[in-house]
Amino acid sequence: MVGVRERDVAAFEAIYDSYHRLVYGIALKMLQDTMAAEDLTQAVFLKVWSAPDTFAGGNFAAWISRVARNRALDMLRSRSLRAEGEMPLDVPLDEALHDTVFAMIDGDCVRNALANLPDEQRQPIELGFFGGITHEEIARRTETPLGTVKTRIRAGLRKLRSALETSVVR
Amino acid sequence: MNGGHEETLDTIALLALGALPADKGRDLAGHARDCAECRAEYTKLRVAADAVAFSAELRVGELDELSSARLKARVMNAVRANGAAVPGPASSGQAITAAAAAPRLLRSRTAWIPYVLAAAAVVIAILTSVNFAALRSQRDRYEQQVAELQSQFYLQSARESVTVRQLAALTAPGSKHFAVPSGDIVTSGGHVYLALRLTQPAPGKVYQAWTLRAGAKAVTPSVTFAPEPGGIAFVELPESAKGLAAVAVSVEPVGGSKAPTSTPAFVRSLS
Repeated sequence: MVGVRERDVAAFEAIYDSYHRLVYGIALKMLQDTMAAEDLTQAVFLKVWSAPDTFAGGNFAAWISRVARNRALDMLRSRSLRAEGEMPLDVPLDEALHDTVFAMIDGDCVRNALANLPDEQRQPIELGFFGGITHEEIARRTETPLGTVKTRIRAGLRKLRSALETSVVR
Repeated sequence: MNGGHEETLDTIALLALGALPADKGRDLAGHARDCAECRAEYTKLRVAADAVAFSAELRVGELDELSSARLKARVMNAVRANGAAVPGPASSGQAITAAAAAPRLLRSRTAWIPYVLAAAAVVIAILTSVNFAALRSQRDRYEQQVAELQSQFYLQSARESVTVRQLAALTAPGSKHFAVPSGDIVTSGGHVYLALRLTQPAPGKVYQAWTLRAGAKAVTPSVTFAPEPGGIAFVELPESAKGLAAVAVSVEPVGGSKAPTSTPAFVRSLS
């Protein structure tokens, strides 16, 4: 990002090449529309170019995926005004593992880890993350008691983290 | 650890995933700042929640070559149009050198002139540099504003694409329209849409949709919404159309209610 702050197009292009499949993939999964996903991808990368200082440090991949998700949520919300949650961009994470994990994982690694979760845990996690809906709506859609949804999401995230740690150590 | 706090830790998982409504999320984040146990749990689970995004990453080659090249060209063109670095002006050192190489022929008669010219060149170079830096800074600001506007434009464009998709759903073969006094309720492809013309709700109020599932005795709260400035509200309900017996809309306080607190604007059976 240092190069981008200095208005270096080559530095920006390297970032684009590394992360466009992630940003576009998130946009496509959430919006289910290729044109909208392309527009959102362009919007996110132009934001990176026009306001590089909004990245305050930490893991860039995690940051840009939160930006992409929040923008997609904005878009979904603008159509239905749902009151979904947003992933905070400014919550400090003082754990070195966060960076280590993100430096070493890729899409296949996470897909495998998610696939190994029981459906009852994976489904509410994916609905919450990509569907942009609250736990109450997840409970309604899956016809599961609210407390059970919470417990399953927590258990699923703990297993996911454990699986990712294992794959990083390996 | 008591059972109550265990439940809070479960809710922390929702905060990490981003599945809490904004107001509840803010409250819980406030608690987590003062509670070491919740903060530690949040940190642990955020790693996993952030990682979920990676499962959407397309594999190399999954985005077809043509689309990939077109998208990259769009982004790079926009970036190049918005302020790539350009070489700076000649340095003041170069300017001094050029000035110092000036009129040697006059030196014998007016030896002081080169020094004056050199001094003038230094002053001009400094002023030029300062001016150039100011202009460059101003240009960067303008370019960043343009890039920001372009970013907003593409977001708007993306929104329109979503709207087109929703309109396509409304007119799809097999879609069912249920007339209400202010518009239509439409079911299409398992989704439920409200296409309404409404007056703006009073300050502090919003519209809220309610759904009644077949066999249920009470309505379930659905989304809250407000019409666009022109009065149009186009809302996709998160509930599936399958098994839905009726839809109602009422005016509620901002944030929504758990049960209707006002007489519904309409209650429409979907059978």
